[in-house]
Amino acid sequence: MNSTKKRIAFKTLGCRLNQYETDALVSDFDKGGYEIVDFKEQADVVVVNTCTVTNQSDQKSRNMISQAARNNQGSVVVVTGCMANNYKETLEGENKITYVVENNRKGSILNLVDAHFGGELLHPEKLEADVFQFNTVDKSLHTRSAIKIQDGCDNFCTFCIIPTVRGRAVSRPLPQIIENVEDTLANGFKELVITGVNIGRYEWEDKRFEDVLEAILNVPGDFRVRISSLEPDGFGNRLVDLFDHPKLTPHLHLCLQSGSDKVLLRMRRMYDYNRFKNLVERFRDKYTEFNFTTDLIVGFPDESEEDFQESLNAVSTFGFGHVHTFKYSVRKGTRAERMENHLPEKIKNARSARIRQASEENRSRYLSSFIGKEQTVLIETIDARGYATGYGEHYVPVRFKGKGLQKNTFQIVRITRIEGKGEQMRLVGEL
Amino acid sequence: MSIELQQEIKIDESFYKVKEIRQLTDETFSLRLPKSRFNYRAGQHISLGIRGDYQSREYSIYSGENDDHLEVLVKEVKKGYFTPKLSKLKPGDLVEVSGPFGKFRIDEKKIADHKFVFIASGTGIAPFRSMVRTYPQLDYQLIHGVRYGNEAYDRHEYEQERHILCTSGDKTGKVHGRLTTYLKKASFDNNTQFYLCGNSNMIFDALEILKDKGFERDQIHCEVYF
Ligand SMILES: Cc1cc2nc3c(=O)[nH]c(=O)nc-3n(C[C@H](O)[C@H](O)[C@H](O)COP(=O)(O)OP(=O)(O)OC[C@H]3O[C@@H](n4cnc5c(N)ncnc54)[C@H](O)[C@@H]3O)c2cc1C
Ligand code: SF4
Repeated sequence: MNSTKKRIAFKTLGCRLNQYETDALVSDFDKGGYEIVDFKEQADVVVVNTCTVTNQSDQKSRNMISQAARNNQGSVVVVTGCMANNYKETLEGENKITYVVENNRKGSILNLVDAHFGGELLHPEKLEADVFQFNTVDKSLHTRSAIKIQDGCDNFCTFCIIPTVRGRAVSRPLPQIIENVEDTLANGFKELVITGVNIGRYEWEDKRFEDVLEAILNVPGDFRVRISSLEPDGFGNRLVDLFDHPKLTPHLHLCLQSGSDKVLLRMRRMYDYNRFKNLVERFRDKYTEFNFTTDLIVGFPDESEEDFQESLNAVSTFGFGHVHTFKYSVRKGTRAERMENHLPEKIKNARSARIRQASEENRSRYLSSFIGKEQTVLIETIDARGYATGYGEHYVPVRFKGKGLQKNTFQIVRITRIEGKGEQMRLVGEL
Repeated sequence: MSIELQQEIKIDESFYKVKEIRQLTDETFSLRLPKSRFNYRAGQHISLGIRGDYQSREYSIYSGENDDHLEVLVKEVKKGYFTPKLSKLKPGDLVEVSGPFGKFRIDEKKIADHKFVFIASGTGIAPFRSMVRTYPQLDYQLIHGVRYGNEAYDRHEYEQERHILCTSGDKTGKVHGRLTTYLKKASFDNNTQFYLCGNSNMIFDALEILKDKGFERDQIHCEVYF
């Protein structure tokens, strides 16, 4: 390689798992002697970590690839992530892309790029395929680091492309996870986010998700643990009780997808409304302020007004702190693509707007309930005027001012009011 | 290890030659494939592809865990994309199998002291044949809803008193009418595990009936085909 450092830029789209994988790549390249630059800057290598979960994410991924190629003429453009799996052949045929690397080989991108600059043109298929190959993140733009415990999913929900692009469910051996946790903590991270495609289905030897969670919580150190996103099936009281642990934050992103049992069945979800309700109630009975956030799909094929109303009611019944609303969009090759009675865009738009509004009202109500109370905030940013922002343990965004504040430290903040609207709404507090 | 070698092994593992086709009715047939190294649990499904076609579909495994072939039961959907192609396969043709997938399985710890009620519409009977063949000691009842009596696939394999055929289009079944009509009148022990498989409308109605009878969602397992 040249004596001057090669410059590399990254762009990540989609889920937390992708973000985690980019973070690990950033670390790899940093250690490998590359200079990490912003995506907007000129670079010798650009890695676009794509997402394909909805049509919009496809479009965004395409735009980013074009932008990367346009801004960096003659540079190496590496496209990876779920879109690379789903549209491999098409992407490989595009001149502006140098390499298309599938998810299972993502961890070896440094080898590929090193080889490229060394004059060896490797085909990505020659790279080692291992979904857990990523090294511990040590240089990242975040104070939170993800811990990948699992990859893939074979639930085959009828709307979802992920089983096709991420492959079968595989679980990372527990000793490896703990090693990764210890390394991550040694690198100074204060918040660990347990991540995977369907982490509730963790299965390694006789260990299940709760065992992994407990083992991570029992690692010594000053840190807290968050669970990224969970499918609401198959959890008993053990999970509820684990939240007694002071390191586990009282927040769960529990994907409901629809409030109608009919729709849930056609989505091939493994729970019904009452099961979901029961789980939420068990938590709230014990931890009254527990924050539940969720995903809802509106306008699933054949969703009647009545079905939709059940989703809408669910928003207020469960008092979600945040609802990620997805307008149903067809993913090729999924079962829902072949279902009858796909709804017109107009209906989907209208329903989606109604959910958003209900969700905002909820969010405002939920955030207001913190006024006068305390949150332990992990500082993520401090601006020039000395205002710090970060998340409280309930995964609520908080802004506050203080002297001598430092990034990546915990501060106990008394909440005084809320500010902002919609998605931007947040808590304001003081020390 | 060379990459070529890896690919060869992969192809060998996932492509199977059709061994035998059993025509069960005008529209329904079973495909028998060699089982070789393929291990599965009764109730699971596979994803099936045809060589040269980019589409694939899921099928419950129809054979028992210890049978010497891997079998699926397929109904040709005339306006469908995949099944008309499957119906043209001949012994010796290659199909691609991936899997097994799914959690629609018997909890073996429950076999000794639980009753099992299997509720199926049409080809939804497939995972139950696999379960019955795998666990001969199972205390089960199979409620099968079809239109005509000839759709009671492989009925001679089930003990007569355990097999309740509901026919809505003729009078050849034990029950004349939909299986949900039968379910409403039937009574079941408290320690029953229910397994529902087939189309989502049937499953939805059956679930409601069972919940009305006071059964918990935890004792009801569902596999939705469409
Ligand atoms: C987990 C799982 C297991 C399955 N197991 C089986 C099985 O053991 N045997 C089997 O025949 N099918 C099974 N199916 C359904 C199968 O995957 C296909 O959907 C079916 O074979 C139709 O495919 P197609 O391409 O011909 O029709 P498509 O073009 O996909 O669909 C056309 C329409 O046919 C209807 N349809 C789908 N399946 C059936 C069916 N079985 N009987 C009547 N109408 C149907 C639906 O309304 C569908 O919208 C299973 C599905 C799932 C998800
Ligand atoms: S659980 Fe369903 S929605 Fe989630 S990744 Fe698996 S198939 Fe997709």
